[in-house]
Amino acid sequence: MSGLPGLMEGRVVLVTGAAAGVGRGVAAAFGSAGAIVGIGVRRPEAAEESAAAVAAAGGTPVILRCDVTDAAQSADAIEQLVRDFGRLDAVVHNAVSGRSSEATDFENTTLDEWEDHASVTVRATWRLAVQAYPHLQKSQGAYLLMSSPAGIEGSERAPFYSAVKAAQRGFVRALAREWGPDHIRVNSVAPLAISPALENMKILEPERVKRIEGLVPLGRLGDPETDIGPPSVFLCSDEARYVTGQTLVVSGGRFTSL
Amino acid sequence: MASSASTLVIGSSSGIGFSIAQRLRTRGDSIVELASTLDLTNAEAVGESLRSLVGSGTVDYVVLAAIDPSAFRSAPIVSLTESEWDQAAEYSMRSAFVALQQAHGVLADGGRVILILPTVAATGVAGLVPLCTAVETIRVMAKAVARRWGARSITVNTIEVELGAFMLGDNEVGDTEVPVVPVLGQPALPPASAVDDVIGLIDMLATPAAGAITGALLVADRGTVMQP
Repeated sequence: MSGLPGLMEGRVVLVTGAAAGVGRGVAAAFGSAGAIVGIGVRRPEAAEESAAAVAAAGGTPVILRCDVTDAAQSADAIEQLVRDFGRLDAVVHNAVSGRSSEATDFENTTLDEWEDHASVTVRATWRLAVQAYPHLQKSQGAYLLMSSPAGIEGSERAPFYSAVKAAQRGFVRALAREWGPDHIRVNSVAPLAISPALENMKILEPERVKRIEGLVPLGRLGDPETDIGPPSVFLCSDEARYVTGQTLVVSGGRFTSL
Repeated sequence: MASSASTLVIGSSSGIGFSIAQRLRTRGDSIVELASTLDLTNAEAVGESLRSLVGSGTVDYVVLAAIDPSAFRSAPIVSLTESEWDQAAEYSMRSAFVALQQAHGVLADGGRVILILPTVAATGVAGLVPLCTAVETIRVMAKAVARRWGARSITVNTIEVELGAFMLGDNEVGDTEVPVVPVLGQPALPPASAVDDVIGLIDMLATPAAGAITGALLVADRGTVMQP
């Protein structure tokens, strides 16, 4: 058990990309805060572990088919939560392209690869906002984007990934101003955390992971549920009622000048 | 800039890109410009055009000041259709990728890439979510390529100017609707030509002394925003 017990009691949250990694951890943290957690995934059969994690933490999991590149699926996921639970208090957009951990050969690649990243991280960021707007307006809720330190400092290896993550920061700053009068808060988290890609790297390139860990003042990579989850829950809770337009870097001190 | 060097200006059909190209041409710099009708998201066409302009040579400087004008229309995001969002936000991102990628193919070792963007993303502006999103994307894309191209001693930096200056360059406001960007107070410095300010910074970045500056953001707004 971790997180902020009771902070989101009875609140309804949609977490996209919640089948694994940071998404699963954040979903579980919302569970520990007492939330009803919509687990948005492309393949519902892959969400059982996440649902179990939310339930074990004390929350109510709801598995939702939600490929965020499909406008109808994301609209249906939101509508299902509102229909079944009467409200929507927060949307956490965490989904990324399946190619997000791949290196991009910027000088030789094509717009097709850009589209893989942009459709999930840029267009869906806009579309989810539009679809959730009337419900968040009613609940005076929160929209939280899971960005990345790469979206602040730029990545040599992953120029597209870093660019679309930067898009989310620009989006957050502007939308926070636009939705401020509606009392909807818009923020982002830039986490440094264990991901499925890093788990693989631990096996294939353990020395590289050690080098990364060596750059973190706190000496380790973040745990999705216990390190990244609670700040994410906080930003969606009433306790952060005066926080909007911000990117919270949750990196164990790895990034201190962003 | 060295007078024998050549400069590729992308986005020279309007606004500050037009004024920069005009100013450089007037003072005798060697300028290469893409046709204003060229679709900047068409990598093949942009590449072909550059090869025909440059031939077997290279360019020493690239100035990129290309934001689709639809991004300057103020509107709440909930009022946008998907195609409007795409044109106002994502088209400029794709353009920046294609422009940088294709320019890389004609850029000399030790070359300098300078992106010109409006300051809007630093603070965010209601009604201009697509523009702020695009600008931040392009700014970090520039940082990423600065890291990639450093081994060839190519520097990549961004200069940001106020939105009105970006949209208009040397032109009078006329019928152009410039969205209001909320800022606290007036610029710290007296008014002057933003184009002059930018040209000065481009010249500075072109000097050998600036060879260690890359991935940087230089804000030439005369002290309006003063970013943290």
